[in-house]
Amino acid sequence: MPAISVENIRFSYGKLEALKGISFTVAPGEVLGFLGPNGAGKSTTIKILTGQLTPQAGVAQVLGLDVTKERTAFKARIGVCFEEKNLYQAMSGEENLRFFASLFGVRRPDVMGLLQQVGLADRARDRVSQYSKGMRQRLMMARALINNPEVLFLDEPTEGLDPVSAQTIRGIIQEQAERGVAVLLTTHDMWEADELSDRVAFINEGQLYAIDTPEVLKLQHGKRAVRVRRQLDGMVSEVVVPLETPEAGQQLKEAVSAPGLLTIHTEEATLEEVFIQMTGRGLRG
Amino acid sequence: MNRPVSRLAIIAAIIRKDLLEFSRDRLWMILTPLTLVMFTAIFWLMPYQVEETVTVGVAPGALGRALELLGSPGLRLVAFASEAELAAAVAGEQPDAPPLSIGLAFPEDFLLRAARGQPATVRVYVDALVPPEVRHAMTSAVREVAYTLSGAPLPVSLLAAEEVVLGTDRMGQQIPPRERFRPLLVFLVLMVEALALASLIAAEVSSRTIAALLVTPVRSADILAAKGLLGTVLAFAQAFLLLLVTHSLGGNTAALLLAVLLGALLVSGIGLYTGAAGKDFIGTLFLGALFMFPLMIPAFALLFPGTASAWVQVLPSYGIIQAMVGASHGQGFVELAGYFTSAALWVVAVFALGWLALQRKVTSP
Repeated sequence: MPAISVENIRFSYGKLEALKGISFTVAPGEVLGFLGPNGAGKSTTIKILTGQLTPQAGVAQVLGLDVTKERTAFKARIGVCFEEKNLYQAMSGEENLRFFASLFGVRRPDVMGLLQQVGLADRARDRVSQYSKGMRQRLMMARALINNPEVLFLDEPTEGLDPVSAQTIRGIIQEQAERGVAVLLTTHDMWEADELSDRVAFINEGQLYAIDTPEVLKLQHGKRAVRVRRQLDGMVSEVVVPLETPEAGQQLKEAVSAPGLLTIHTEEATLEEVFIQMTGRGLRG
Repeated sequence: MNRPVSRLAIIAAIIRKDLLEFSRDRLWMILTPLTLVMFTAIFWLMPYQVEETVTVGVAPGALGRALELLGSPGLRLVAFASEAELAAAVAGEQPDAPPLSIGLAFPEDFLLRAARGQPATVRVYVDALVPPEVRHAMTSAVREVAYTLSGAPLPVSLLAAEEVVLGTDRMGQQIPPRERFRPLLVFLVLMVEALALASLIAAEVSSRTIAALLVTPVRSADILAAKGLLGTVLAFAQAFLLLLVTHSLGGNTAALLLAVLLGALLVSGIGLYTGAAGKDFIGTLFLGALFMFPLMIPAFALLFPGTASAWVQVLPSYGIIQAMVGASHGQGFVELAGYFTSAALWVVAVFALGWLALQRKVTSP
């Protein structure tokens, strides 16, 4: 049974059609990267799947539970990390986590263990208003894990973070996936999506354009080539051999066997290039 | 494994969290006790009895002394030797004279003319601040004095015998300013707490922590219940303390407390609405003021009886204020049932409005 199952859901804000019937599934232990520019429908999808909005058509299930009919039941088993740092500023990190643990009915919340995991144990009693942006984001991640969720919804979890904080968050995402947690991850960072996601979904203007592994998408929709550099009589020259043509093998053989070989680089399309090719617009639009 | 969490436990957890946040908000932690102390001080500084004695200057002095012999409770006569001195005293230009706002200048031969039934002109000096009804009362008093002195009966009979008194007849038990002020003070205390509640909700909405709550087993009805309960308890406790320290729990105490409770619920509902509908803290304060000030009108009207128009009765706070006044004068639940019912209906309407505003806010893009 998929952890998340979405079938032809639609949603409009007044006349603005935010979702035009999208369908996908996420298996337990899978990380699905949800990619698209601002206003593509990513946040609306997450809001529907976390019970904040009700779809106007279609069926959405989380852990086999209908998100419109069994809200309390499925919400007890999910964790959400928002893009905005919506923490209680006047409360400490520890107090924030204890409060959310009480809402989930967690018997003995391992608050200090979680804070340790995100590197905030030594600042547990400081008020959130005194935290840096990176510390707040790490606390948001700890909050999303307070109820040992089976599904995680992560909306831009590393946006604007320093490399150390971003790496901590990525490590936690990988750990959770290995534990069997299904993760729906939205991000603008193509490298991150490529690194973390088992599959990626491209969404634009409320429609799903593609959903597959990053490798398949890049192979199917991106260019593949080998760039060969040579140096002869002090002059550097470069040959790019496209791999899609039938003559690619022969051309590559000639290129590397020529004298003065300096470097050989394989060239693959990035996810962003694939996205632009498929949708005709960039991811940061 | 997480245990299923009850709605009550969720509401209690939100209340505990809100109390923690409230206790760390310097503005409200200063404002709340300050309001209580300030309003208590205002209450005790207000006059505790009604000054019913009217001081009237009379000239010439001989006539004044003669009039004094007639004796009249509530009327203090001060004799002046001449009309000029009397006019100066009313104008406040006689430092030695007692404070005076009305003076009656009779002609020298007034008694003779009155005895003969001849017309006489009496000049009434009044301060510009004297209300018209008091001026008219003085004119009538002059005519009565004339007929009393002459021994002839008044040509026109008064309507006293046909007077119909509606409600509690408080003849001889006039309400002192302090008591008239009490409902307004109670309402102001409730209002401050409602604004505190509104600011808590506004912070929850603007910082989007409300979204974080709604992706847990918390429902928007739980948030509404928790905030409404906390706001009502805080407002009621403050108002109760004010009533306690101002020794105002007399009359029908149970009915009075019910009226205050309904007031606390009403302002909490408004706090919920303004907190959810306001864009930020300033917007919430503005909306709060916009709703709260009209609600104070029925309480203000008690300070100036007869000034309020009939439309005041449609204000949500009217029933609460009237019930408070009635209960403090000992009226029972049956007599106040109409006021309680209208107040309760308004409470339901305001809470529904607050819930709608909250729902709209959390489902907006």
